[in-house]
Amino acid sequence: MTTRTRLLLSLLAVVALFAAACAPSSDDDADASDDTSSETSDDPILIGASLPLSGPLAGFGSFQKWGYEHAVAQVNDAGGIEIDGVQRQVELIILDDKTDPNQVTTNINTLISNEGVTALLGSCTPDLVNPGAIAAENAEVPFVAGCDPIEVFDGVQEWTWAWDIFFSVPELAALSFQTIDGLELETNRKVAILHDNGPDGQIIGNEIWPAMAADAGYEVVANVEFPVDNTDFTAAIEEARDSGADILLVDNITPQAVSLRQQMAAVGWEPLVMVNEKGAEPLQYAEALDDLSNGVMVGAYWDPSFPFEGSAELQEAWDAENDTSSSQHIADSYTAARVLLDAIARAGTLDQETINTEIGATDAEYPVGHVKFEGNNVAKIELAMAQWQDGVPVIIFPAERSTGEVVFPLPGS
Amino acid sequence: MGIAAIDVGAIAQAASTGLLLGGIYALSALGLSLVLGVMRLVNLVHGEVTVLGAYLGLLALSTFGLDPLLALPLVFVVVGLAALPVHRLVLAPLAGRGEEAALLTTFALAVIMQNLYIQWFTGDTRAITRPYSRSTIEVLGLRLPGVYLMGFAISLGCTIAVYALMTRSGFGRRLRAGAEDPMAAGVVGVDVGRVHAQTFALGAGLAAMGGVLLGLAFSFTPTSGTAFLLVGFAIVVVGGLGSVAGTFIGGTMLGVLQSLGALMFGDGYRGFIGLVLFLLVLALRPNGLFGRTAAT
Amino acid sequence: MTSSPPLVLDDPATADRRRSPLGRELAILAAVAACLFLMPYVVDDYALQVGYLILQLAALATAWNLLAGYTGLVSLGSAAFVGIGTYTMAMLDERAAPVWFAIIAAGVVAAVFAAVVSPAMFRLRGLYFTIGTLALAEALRMWMVNARTFNGAAGIYLTGRPPAFYQLYWLVLVAAIGATAVVVVILRRPLALRLNAVRDDEDVAAEMGVRVFRAKLVAFAVSGSLMGIIGAVQALNTRVVVPNGAFGLTWTVNIVLVALIGGLGTRTGPWIGAVFAILLQESLRGYPEIHLAITGAVLLLVIRFAPSGIGGAMADGRRRLARVWRTRS
Repeated sequence: MTTRTRLLLSLLAVVALFAAACAPSSDDDADASDDTSSETSDDPILIGASLPLSGPLAGFGSFQKWGYEHAVAQVNDAGGIEIDGVQRQVELIILDDKTDPNQVTTNINTLISNEGVTALLGSCTPDLVNPGAIAAENAEVPFVAGCDPIEVFDGVQEWTWAWDIFFSVPELAALSFQTIDGLELETNRKVAILHDNGPDGQIIGNEIWPAMAADAGYEVVANVEFPVDNTDFTAAIEEARDSGADILLVDNITPQAVSLRQQMAAVGWEPLVMVNEKGAEPLQYAEALDDLSNGVMVGAYWDPSFPFEGSAELQEAWDAENDTSSSQHIADSYTAARVLLDAIARAGTLDQETINTEIGATDAEYPVGHVKFEGNNVAKIELAMAQWQDGVPVIIFPAERSTGEVVFPLPGS
Repeated sequence: MGIAAIDVGAIAQAASTGLLLGGIYALSALGLSLVLGVMRLVNLVHGEVTVLGAYLGLLALSTFGLDPLLALPLVFVVVGLAALPVHRLVLAPLAGRGEEAALLTTFALAVIMQNLYIQWFTGDTRAITRPYSRSTIEVLGLRLPGVYLMGFAISLGCTIAVYALMTRSGFGRRLRAGAEDPMAAGVVGVDVGRVHAQTFALGAGLAAMGGVLLGLAFSFTPTSGTAFLLVGFAIVVVGGLGSVAGTFIGGTMLGVLQSLGALMFGDGYRGFIGLVLFLLVLALRPNGLFGRTAAT
Repeated sequence: MTSSPPLVLDDPATADRRRSPLGRELAILAAVAACLFLMPYVVDDYALQVGYLILQLAALATAWNLLAGYTGLVSLGSAAFVGIGTYTMAMLDERAAPVWFAIIAAGVVAAVFAAVVSPAMFRLRGLYFTIGTLALAEALRMWMVNARTFNGAAGIYLTGRPPAFYQLYWLVLVAAIGATAVVVVILRRPLALRLNAVRDDEDVAAEMGVRVFRAKLVAFAVSGSLMGIIGAVQALNTRVVVPNGAFGLTWTVNIVLVALIGGLGTRTGPWIGAVFAILLQESLRGYPEIHLAITGAVLLLVIRFAPSGIGGAMADGRRRLARVWRTRS
């Protein structure tokens, strides 16, 4: 083959590369995303989100998706949002990040550059929320998230464009002890802590739980750290058993939470009280474990019974559309989306800086409670303690929120 | 979390639990070992087949109300039979094209299966829990989980059965002949291609049964296959390619060592220890501790 | 162990080597580079993002190709090198090192790692090497998840001033062009013959006087350091580095898929594979499982029916066309 032929073919390849790269962006109003010139009422307001729809955190992702979509549908049904005097509908674009932090960054950038979204909503758990927040912050696009404990979010960097609505880790940690004391559960006040070495696992397991325990007059007799993707907990369980603790506090993600409970039953150790934060939240925990999940407590930031604006209606909407049980994540995500959409409505423009300012000015009640941003763009929501009982998360503490009686001790102990 | 004080009780407890779990892993690993030893195939889809077994065990329970342990023979047959056409269509045509082609094909299969699982079963975490998941048996002051004991016993039983198959049956003779010297075996009239297909099916069936047992002991998701694959390799390498007894012993050994390691250094290093051991054996005694020297 | 035929066909270039001097090949590469360099000025952000992903994969696949296609060492441990590069960048960012320094350092650290593990790794032959690299990468990942030295699963956040995205694009462009240039240059040197000899039959090569260990080491280290550089750039992209993301098996899977589909042992193969993979990914963006399953299926078909990949098939097609042309005239 001659050099000329090769040169031609190489250039052809380059052109093909070029064309290939440009081709997928065929739905291309993308470049005009921020201008306010020549828009019709058919032009939707674009909001983007990256969610774990597959991978270990898929259990959270599916509920978040519903929460976001429901908020958008609600706003659209009410006529949409008025931008510069024109009513426009909202369009939500969701990409799967496969529980991969790398994918989150790619997704957020894709949403901003290809879809031309005006604002963004977050994924779930710090590992996935934080990279998205960082990408949005760098691109100066408003970003509202839940599902990221406020201290963890706060500790990443100074935020201008990213906002977080979630609970406080020290409060969650203290909740375990408040529940035991508040319900007057009789234990030997000895605590075993099992936690993963993820960002929040390390903080809550190594610093905050021990500190809260000391404050509340409990003794930590065992503290075991394990990798996020650990499968065999038998050694950790033996250590907890040998320590003689009546109370077990756990922080991990769902696959590990299920394995842990399975193996506790297999080796025949069940403490009187078991609290499993994070991993025991989703419905799949109770479904995978069946009656082994009974009695396990987990911090809850929402229940349909909470007396906040839109709480009960949210559950009704879910029940109308789905046969399966819901999860508290529908409330957190719905709230984040509503906060964003309400801010856009108040702004009345697609100018991102104005929208961002309006987000910061949020001061209203939503299903998860009163939302007002303080400090480093964080809004704290309240907590209650839930307990799995026959596949239903029953609120057992505090009394004014409770929807049922506590099951004590843990069945099997 | 440093090295614990010498607590014989704790060590014995950890060792025994590790032994039982290792034995359970060995059943799935046996499938891998046979395929590697006889077909010289690094079967990268092994982990996914194991997970398939776990899902089938769960399905047997949820759809037919059949206890997963009772469903084991069914799982073995179903997966084994399903493996035959896969081998015929995808692997058999590659015979003679070298080890890499087959290896990379199983790699492709693994990618496909993993993603199919996410589509079919969703990414949710699953586990198989039964009333007997809670029983513990006290022996000599050791608390042995009932579910692990049963799994261990089943695994041991299957291993013995496979051993008998290998040494006493016509199939076993043909298999070993094909493994030792395919050309000579062919000359003598062994249909090596058919033997390979049957080995592949047997390996898949064993892997799936192992998966059911693993689903009773651990939670699983569509992506659990990789972890199972690595453990399987570690066991096979330590125990020796194609050696039935070696695989079982290798499994139990690895289980004990990992549990003791976790006891001493923390759970974080459990998997790490396993892999380091695996790499060491691979480098120093590639035929495994019990493998036949004819493996190369 | 290496007596079975390798997966690849001969590189078409070997035949044409005499006709087309190194200078011209590099000139073509430079022309391609120049065109791609201009992209940030011409296309929108999204196209640039797609270009980034394609170039990133092309660079990684080229690096893997050097090891697997030309030297016959099929490695499933690529994630280790990408991760090392990622973490090197993160750690140096913490110490406010300049970006260019950190990128070079990432390549160096990755190469050092390759050198350190090679005595052990190269004792393993053929399939054992493949499994060994997989185990090595996973062991490293597990260690990184647990070791406090690198913050474990909590990861490291990059705090330096983030480069603009088009600068990252240029970086991966340089890496991809550079990787291809390295391969093109190596193909001209006796090293290529040595690598091929090792690939075809290690023992025979040793008897013929090839310093097998050294040849393998060069390929391993060069391949690893290229992957490390890409990892470093990725760290600049994501700005947060976690062990499962940096050392995850996803890297290895994608690299192997791309390199094989594109064509092992060819220079254009990795590029073609990368374009194919990213186009498929973007067109099936809402359905990642389907996209991966399809890619796996394509790989199956490629191995079976077009073992030299799409690139090789295209080269075959070109050769057949050329033959037809010649018989006509």
